Amino acid sequence: MRSPIRIVFEQRSETPKRLSILVPLLSVVAALVVGALFLLATGYSPIETYSNMLSDGFTSSRGITDTLGLSTVLICTGISAAFAFQMNLYNIGGEGQLYLGMIGGAWAGLALGDRLPTFVMIPVVLLVGSLAGALWVLLPAFVRSRLGTSEIVTTLLLTYIAASLVKHFVYSPGSFFVTKNSAFPQGRLVPDSAALKGIGDTSLYPTFFLVILIAVVLFWVVKKTEYGYRIQVIADSPRAAHYAGINANRTTLSVMLISGALSGLGGAVLIVGPFGRLDPGIILLGYGYAGIVIAALARNNFSAIIISGILFAGLRSGGDKLQISTSTPIHIGVMLQGAILLFALGGEAFRRYHIHAVRTERATQ
Amino acid sequence: MTNASHEVAKGPHHASGAAPSALSAHSIVKRFPGVLANDSVDFDVLPGEVHTLLGENGAGKSTLAAMLCGLYQPDSGYITRNGERIALSSPRAGLHHGIAMVHQHFRLVERFTVAENVILGSRDLSYKLNRSELEDKVAAVADSYGLPIEPGATVGELSVGQRQRVEIVKALYQGAEILLLDEPTAVLVPAEVEKLFENVHAMTRAGKSIVFISHKLGEVVEISDRVTVLRNGRVTGHVSGRGAADTKELARLMVGRDIELTTQRASHATGHEVLQIRDLSLTVNGVSVLSDISFNVHAGEMVGIAGVAGNGQRELADTIAGLISPTSGSVAISGSLTTDRGPIHARELGLAYVPEDRLGMGLVPSMSILDNLLLTRDRHIVVDRTTVRPEAARLIEQFEIKANGPDHVARKLSGGNAQKVLLARELSGGRTATKLLVVCSPTRGLDVGAIETVRALLDDARSAGQAILLISEDLDEVMSLSDRIFVLYRGSVVYETPGESAQLSTVGAAMAGLQPEGKS
Ligand SMILES: Nc1ncnc2c1ncn2[C@@H]1O[C@H](COP(=O)(O)OP(=O)(O)OP(=O)(O)O)[C@@H](O)[C@H]1O
Ligand SMILES: [Mg+2]
Repeated sequence: MRSPIRIVFEQRSETPKRLSILVPLLSVVAALVVGALFLLATGYSPIETYSNMLSDGFTSSRGITDTLGLSTVLICTGISAAFAFQMNLYNIGGEGQLYLGMIGGAWAGLALGDRLPTFVMIPVVLLVGSLAGALWVLLPAFVRSRLGTSEIVTTLLLTYIAASLVKHFVYSPGSFFVTKNSAFPQGRLVPDSAALKGIGDTSLYPTFFLVILIAVVLFWVVKKTEYGYRIQVIADSPRAAHYAGINANRTTLSVMLISGALSGLGGAVLIVGPFGRLDPGIILLGYGYAGIVIAALARNNFSAIIISGILFAGLRSGGDKLQISTSTPIHIGVMLQGAILLFALGGEAFRRYHIHAVRTERATQ
Repeated sequence: MTNASHEVAKGPHHASGAAPSALSAHSIVKRFPGVLANDSVDFDVLPGEVHTLLGENGAGKSTLAAMLCGLYQPDSGYITRNGERIALSSPRAGLHHGIAMVHQHFRLVERFTVAENVILGSRDLSYKLNRSELEDKVAAVADSYGLPIEPGATVGELSVGQRQRVEIVKALYQGAEILLLDEPTAVLVPAEVEKLFENVHAMTRAGKSIVFISHKLGEVVEISDRVTVLRNGRVTGHVSGRGAADTKELARLMVGRDIELTTQRASHATGHEVLQIRDLSLTVNGVSVLSDISFNVHAGEMVGIAGVAGNGQRELADTIAGLISPTSGSVAISGSLTTDRGPIHARELGLAYVPEDRLGMGLVPSMSILDNLLLTRDRHIVVDRTTVRPEAARLIEQFEIKANGPDHVARKLSGGNAQKVLLARELSGGRTATKLLVVCSPTRGLDVGAIETVRALLDDARSAGQAILLISEDLDEVMSLSDRIFVLYRGSVVYETPGESAQLSTVGAAMAGLQPEGKS
């Protein structure tokens, strides 16, 4: 007699170490497979497309510097998302905070003009951009910590407003951010003192190393400091935090602000780096949203975010370059990003549960 | 080796010999990282029988029960039901085979109401819930078992004792043939225990089986047809026949030595007032929770608060600890007001506080023992774990905490061992030398050996001049340790008596809200 096979989800008491690495890795592979199917179905060669992406994203020296350059902003938005997520605060408005970082950074650069030397200007621009990002999350952070209003909705809504702000500042005539009397609406370039040079004339800027340093410092802060300890207590059990006299409201507020500042930093990095101006083109790039995926793939681990940020940058920059040649589909990079998110989230099931098939036995009663 | 086998005539409820056991475990092995929680365990329960699992904290009782109900899967070995091999892949599969369990760590959804929790997991649910009908049904079941619960209340707002009742009602509601009770009586008052036992007897008479886990040896003697003793994951002893062994013998079987739980009171005159409570009242959502409470606790004195769960004990403790601001009245420690100043201020004045709720309030489940020890201490800006590590190792040894070391995660400790971590932290002093110790149900879930140790430590603390407020539903404990006893009923102190002249019956009556004649 054959009994039917059933899939059983058994909750794991402990996740094996190897799964923590295997699941993200397989998520990426699975996404590539789905992408390949998609390419096949639409009449493209997956092998050709992927090999182009690979060489444009990871293997050519130009490809590597482009990837690392792009990863700078993606790591910013990745740690921004992860910093909030680790405390179960779902700041999904990194995108809008990034715009504000660009606005703030460009404003600082333009307002100060050429008066200050580069070594002062760059930190000022980055700082003002970060503050602008933090400012953009102030309201959601405040209502969340005081009233418990969902930050998911408020941060997302503010992203749309931020996008409108960017457009307003670039397209409204006579705006501070644009060149006066120009026929073509375009952001004004920040002065040279606020512009970094790519290392060895590549698109990799020194800000990359700053961002890596910040990721490492944040990792240390969370693991080793009193502040990180509080975050862990609140994330796990708010009642224990209350018992221990840890002020959850204040920590919630500061974590949200730091998260916003990190996305803002990502925007400012674009000002001192490749963009040099407030550019409405940013709205189509979705670097802030990409940060959510990067954080999810890295399971909010700051050192893993460096890796997943670089991986994503490679996919994106490789994918973007495909668009130039006509034989390959555009947006495959973005599509893969979405697929990776889905698989990474689905992969959680494998980490949390031991999933196996059993033959169902006859009931004994 | 302790392997006492008293083959006395079997209990009255089951036929001897041939009948297959209702549920048996065969050579079950279960390994967790670093420990062998069950080492080739054989265990069975017959129809109509109460079979008790006894053992020290961390012996592997809960682990075995969890495998019998489908929550965990054995690494090797198998389980049979009425002689037939079954696969218990989940608690739901367990329910399907008529097996339900009352867990030691509550598995209730805090945001749901009592009724919602009780029906959670039942199969016969329609898509639309008729709330009032449901609540009536749950209340009816609860009443019929003599365990009063309020079906509409949110579980998150209930005391630990009330949650325990919900867990029991939930298991009974599911109409199981085999009921696994993991320390069900830990926070019940004697009358409730009696009621529960009546239910147990009714079930066994109907041919159902009970697996019972408890550290309260008196109960074990009273209720068990058989007792199996576990030690370090292995079966080390059996006792057969109801009442075949007395508590002393069970204790010896369990910990390998004699345990003497004695009465202890202040040996010398008590000192100045450390805790001063004046006209304390608390109203929550328009309901009076504490009303007009005034008393003092002196240095070197232990004051016991007796009462049925949910009569304001938790709120009283939380208010003293600075976690709740009273509606009126004041609390002072060593003459300094703590009202509205928050928990850190209270601790700086010398407070140590063991809350009734350990995992989730007293302990952070996902954190290590080491980090949990730091929870109520001064941690500096960069958390200083290196200097605390040796102390953590020392406390693990002193409190005999079964763990892989200071990095063992609290969630993965056995119930009693988690309680020991909490006690170890609060009894070992924190920011400042402890002057006032507020302990809620300190020995709940501890084995007799550990109870002895903890009581001795409390006595030491008292002798060292600390003022102790002992809040417990374990009336025996309150009566045998306290210098003065207060009974809390519906938020008021209704009875007060010196510890040595306290009468069990009078205190019990006061707890039930009956006006004792000699109210002092
Ligand atoms: N999920 C887990 N992960 C790792 N170790 C565990 C886990 N659950 C239990 N253990 C370990 O297994 C051993 C047995 O635990 P168990 O909970 O069965 O003890 P117990 O007999 O019920 O004790 P208590 O009387 O304290 O409740 C303990 O050493 C405990 O630390
Ligand atoms: Mg247990």
